[in-house]
Amino acid sequence: MTAIAFEAHSTQARWRRVAGVVYRDLAAMRRSPIRVFEILFWPVIELVVWGYVTLFLQANKVPFIVSALLGAVLLWQVLHRASNEVSIGFLEDVWSRNLINLHVTPVTPGEYVTGLILFSLIKIAGGLAVMVTLAYVLYGFGLFGVGIGLIPFMAVLLVLGWALALVAISAVLRFGEGAQVIAWSLVFVFQPVAGVFYPVSVLPEPLQWLATAVPASHVFEGMRAVLGGDPVPWDTLALAAGLDVVYVGVALWLYTATLRHARSKGRLSRFGE
Amino acid sequence: MAILEAQSLTKRFGPVQAVDGVGLTVGQGEITGLLGPNGAGKSTTLHMLLGLVTPDSGSVTMFGLDLQRHRTEVLSRVNFSAGYLGLPGVLHVREVLNSFARLYGLRDPRARVAEVAELLEIGPLLKRRTADLSSGQHTRVQLGKALLNDPELLILDEPTAALDPDAGERIRNLLVSVARETGKALLITSHNMREVERMCDTVHFLSAGRIVASGSAAELAAHFGVVDLEEVFLKVAREGVPA
Repeated sequence: MTAIAFEAHSTQARWRRVAGVVYRDLAAMRRSPIRVFEILFWPVIELVVWGYVTLFLQANKVPFIVSALLGAVLLWQVLHRASNEVSIGFLEDVWSRNLINLHVTPVTPGEYVTGLILFSLIKIAGGLAVMVTLAYVLYGFGLFGVGIGLIPFMAVLLVLGWALALVAISAVLRFGEGAQVIAWSLVFVFQPVAGVFYPVSVLPEPLQWLATAVPASHVFEGMRAVLGGDPVPWDTLALAAGLDVVYVGVALWLYTATLRHARSKGRLSRFGE
Repeated sequence: MAILEAQSLTKRFGPVQAVDGVGLTVGQGEITGLLGPNGAGKSTTLHMLLGLVTPDSGSVTMFGLDLQRHRTEVLSRVNFSAGYLGLPGVLHVREVLNSFARLYGLRDPRARVAEVAELLEIGPLLKRRTADLSSGQHTRVQLGKALLNDPELLILDEPTAALDPDAGERIRNLLVSVARETGKALLITSHNMREVERMCDTVHFLSAGRIVASGSAAELAAHFGVVDLEEVFLKVAREGVPA
């Protein structure tokens, strides 16, 4: 150990390394206004389009739809951004041929992912704050009307998004840059069975069974229940949290196995070429 | 004292035996060169020493610690620079260095960045985006990154490849003085034979994944019956190793 550094396994060193990942991403965002624009652009577009759809439906005397759809748009963004922001953080290291530089530092895979996740939280919080404000100003919809249930709803979606991001990162490590399309699209594979904009009950029975294994479906069902005046369904939320643990466990296993495989096959080196 | 000990490293990629039984030792304050034609296995060897590539067999020990089992501790005392690596293009040089200083767990990242910037004379570049740097400036920033954690072992893949003769000379002098004055060990690859002659205490020649000759530049020239390392290189690359 050199005198200028914390002992490699100390808590200070670990947090300093995580902070390094966050610092780098924050600096990149500050230097690239287009990234700030990107955080807001698609969520705002979705909010505006769905917002006016719901206003149209409201005019046709289906008021419950308004809050259900707007709530769904906002919570879907939590899941979508959680997945994309972590994946993009990793892909930026691939695009800038910086991955080797990172992998020869003492940063552990866990610290790297923690840094990406913390940065994604910052971006999601910023984007969501704008969306929630817009939803209130434009349509009079207050997301906080969901009440205390909003916290576990969001937590389940964030964790699911991060798990999907780890799967996407693993795909890029395994198959190379060509697999980055997975980073953009993986979350949408879950959208049809997650019951984002409609109740799971409208799905065919086999898909309903599939939906019970998707944590997000319990969140969106729960959100509609709460907006409809029912209490927060803590039992199904607990099930969703349990499913999240399984998803994260599998994703972490996949990520570490893929990293090991990439080192074994020399694929990690090729990200520097 | 041996800073680095690699024993019997082998690596096969499909039908290609990239590295075949490479062993080398680098001592404190020693500058070691790893030479060989393109495809000889130099970069794969370096990447195995850095844990980027897992060897099929063999072991890497640094500071008496096994790399596989003490990765974090070992890598906090080592650093690496290569001309082919990139840096986040949107960031200013200062931000890149600040970020890596944190990734190496430094106590005072900003102070260390200022020290390294002065050492490598990259102060005027600190407020420039890395994407806007010339290749020579980029190389100096990469070297700055590699010195941030005051590494006991510095591994450099073609450290002066993109530098003009004047900048190359200054960087060579700096690296030699860093090794001599602070006892750092350097392991470098280069295709500049004059550079290797001037810098390296020991040179290992790689051909087809194997070390085919080792010694000082003068010893190798004498061994092959030629006048300098350039001719040794050409002889090994074109004719292979005499039995």
